[in-house]
Amino acid sequence: MTSNLFLRKVLGRLVRAVTISFWVMVISFLLIRLSPGDPAATRLGAGAEQEAVEALRKQLKLDVSPLEQFTSYTAGLFRGDLGVSLVNDVDVLETIRNTLPLTLTYIFLSVFFAFLISIPIATLIGWSNSASIVYSFRSITSVIIATPNFFIAMVGILLFSVQRDWAPVFGYVSEFPENLKYLWLPVSINTLILVAIISRVLQSSIVDTKSEEFVETGIIRGVGRTRFFFYYILKPSMAPTVVLLSYMMGTMLGATVILETIFSLPGIGRELVGAVLASDYPMVQGILLFFGVITVFLSFIGDLCAYALDRRVKI
Amino acid sequence: MSNSLVSFKQLRIDVKVTRSRRLRIVDSATFDVEHGQLMGLIGESGSGKTMLCRSLIGTLGRRSAYIESGSVIFDGTNLVNATKSDWREIRGKKIGYIPQSALAGPNPVITIGDQLAEAINQGQKLDRETVHKRSIELLEMVQIRRPEIVLKQYSYQLSGGMKQRVMIACAIAQNPKLIVADEPTTGLDVTVQAEIMVLLKEIRKNLNTSIILVSHDLQLINSICDDVVVMHAGATVEKLPSEEIINALHPYTHALYNSRIDLVEPRGKLVTIKGQPPTVGAWPTGCRFADRCDFVQDKCLFGTQMELLKADTNHETACIRYDEVFLGAKK
Repeated sequence: MTSNLFLRKVLGRLVRAVTISFWVMVISFLLIRLSPGDPAATRLGAGAEQEAVEALRKQLKLDVSPLEQFTSYTAGLFRGDLGVSLVNDVDVLETIRNTLPLTLTYIFLSVFFAFLISIPIATLIGWSNSASIVYSFRSITSVIIATPNFFIAMVGILLFSVQRDWAPVFGYVSEFPENLKYLWLPVSINTLILVAIISRVLQSSIVDTKSEEFVETGIIRGVGRTRFFFYYILKPSMAPTVVLLSYMMGTMLGATVILETIFSLPGIGRELVGAVLASDYPMVQGILLFFGVITVFLSFIGDLCAYALDRRVKI
Repeated sequence: MSNSLVSFKQLRIDVKVTRSRRLRIVDSATFDVEHGQLMGLIGESGSGKTMLCRSLIGTLGRRSAYIESGSVIFDGTNLVNATKSDWREIRGKKIGYIPQSALAGPNPVITIGDQLAEAINQGQKLDRETVHKRSIELLEMVQIRRPEIVLKQYSYQLSGGMKQRVMIACAIAQNPKLIVADEPTTGLDVTVQAEIMVLLKEIRKNLNTSIILVSHDLQLINSICDDVVVMHAGATVEKLPSEEIINALHPYTHALYNSRIDLVEPRGKLVTIKGQPPTVGAWPTGCRFADRCDFVQDKCLFGTQMELLKADTNHETACIRYDEVFLGAKK
C-alpha cells in the first residue's frame, strides 16, 4: 500500500469516527429525554408546588421544544460549552475534567497489568500441548468471564477488606502514594477480568499461528530462539488482541459505573449514575458524549496499532 | 546405491493422536534420490507425501509425528537420529524447503528483505552489505523484477507467484544439495504454475541441486521430472522414469494416468478411480489397492505386499502381478 492510500484510509476512518460521535450525541440527547423523570421536580424535591416547578423549568429552558433544546445544545458544543448541571449549576466540562482522570487512570493501569500478565500466560499455554492444562485454562477463564464484575468485586471486598485489613472498603484520597491504597483492589479486579479475556483470545491466536506454514519456514531458516518467538509467534498473533482490547476499553468505561459505585470511587462512572437518577440532562449528555468519543477514538488507535503490528489487518 | 543423495528405507512415520493412540501415516517408503535428480513424488491426499517431506526437514515433531522405524539417509547422515545441532547444519543449509501454500509461506509481519536475510544468515551474523548484495542476487535468480523494492515490501503486497518465487529464493540461499518442494504450486493459476516449474528446472540446472517435487498432479510431474515415485496409502508403490509412465507396472499408476483430464473429450465422461482410498492407518492386509483394482486376484489379498520388485533397471513396482497383468498383455 502506498503511503498516500494509507493516509486516505486513515482520514476516512477519522471522518467515520466523527460521524459516529455525532450519532452518539444525538442518541444520548434523545435517550435521557425519553426516560421518565423531570429535572426541575427532582431538584425541588417531592413536596414542591406545581407553579414553582413550572418556573424552574422556564428558568432551566426546559419549556421550549426538544428541537430548540437540541439546536442550542449543539450550538453550545461547537463553542466547547457542554452546559451546566441542572442539579447544582456546576459546569459539565469542569465535572468531567475532575472525575475522568481517576477513571482513566485505573482503566489504563488495569489494561497495562493485564497485558503484562496475559502475554506470558497465553504464550505458555499456547505452547503446551497438554490437553489438561489447556482444558483447565479454558474452564478457569470461562468462569471469570461469566461471573458478573460486581460479584467479583464484592468477593474481593469480602476477602481483602473485611476478612483482612488489606484495603479500605470504600472511599478515595487523591494524593499520590495514598491513592494506591484505595486503587489497588479495583484495579486488580479489573485486571483479573481483563486477563481472562485477553489471555484467552491471545492463546487461541497463538495456537493458530503455531500451525501456520511460515512458522515452519522460520524453523528451517534457523531463526534464533528470541527472534523466532517475537517475530514468528507473538507478533503475528497480536493483532486480534489489540483490536479487541481497544474496543473493550470503551465497554470498560461502561463497567466503571458499577465498580465505582461499589468502591465509592469519585470517578466519572459514579457521576453518571448520579446524573441519570437526577435526570440531569446536560450532565448525562456530556458524559455519554465523552464516553462515545473516547470509545471511538480508542478503537481507531487500536486499529492503527494492529495495522502497525500486522499489515494483513484492514483499516 | 550408497552414493545416492537421499535414501529412504522402509520408512515408517506415526502420528500421536492421543496419549495411547497412534496413527500410521507412512508405512513403507523406499526410494533413492540421486545427485542432481528432479524426483517427482505423487499420490492422493493422505498417502503420506507431506509427512515424508517433513522427515527431510525435521519438523515431524511439530505435528506430533515421529519416525517409528526405517531410515532416511541424507548425504551420509541418518536423519532419524539427527540431533538439534545436526539439524541446524542440515536444514536450510543443505536442504532447502519450499512450502506447500505460497500464500501462507512468507511471514506476514516482517519484510521480504528480513526473511531473505534470515535465510542468508542462517543463525550467523553477516554484515549488512553482503546480505543485501546476496538478497538482490537471489531475487534476480528467481526472476523478480525490481528486487530493491520487493526487499522492502511485506508479503501481502506480492502476488501468489511472487510469494512463491521469494520462497524459492529463501530455499536456495545456501546453495542446498536438495530442495524439497511440497506442492509448490497449490493455489496458483495455471500460467504461474508453469512459470514456477520452469524456474525450478532452471535452478536445478544452474545449481545442480536435487529436487523432490511433491504433487498430486501427474501431468505436471510427468512433464518436468526425471523419475516419478508413486505413493498410495502410506507406501511407495512404484518408481519409474517419467517417460515410462505409459508403461506403468502398477494398476494404481495406470488408473492415475488414465484419469487425466486432458484425455477427456469435451463433454465426455471423466474417468475416475473406482471406490475410495483406504482410510489412513486402517489399511487392509495384502495389496492396499486391491479393493479398487480391476485385476485383483485372491493372492493379492494376503501378506503385506509393500516390497518394491525390480522390473527393469530403473523401474520398481509393488504389484506382485505386474508380470501377468502388464507385460503379459503386451506379449
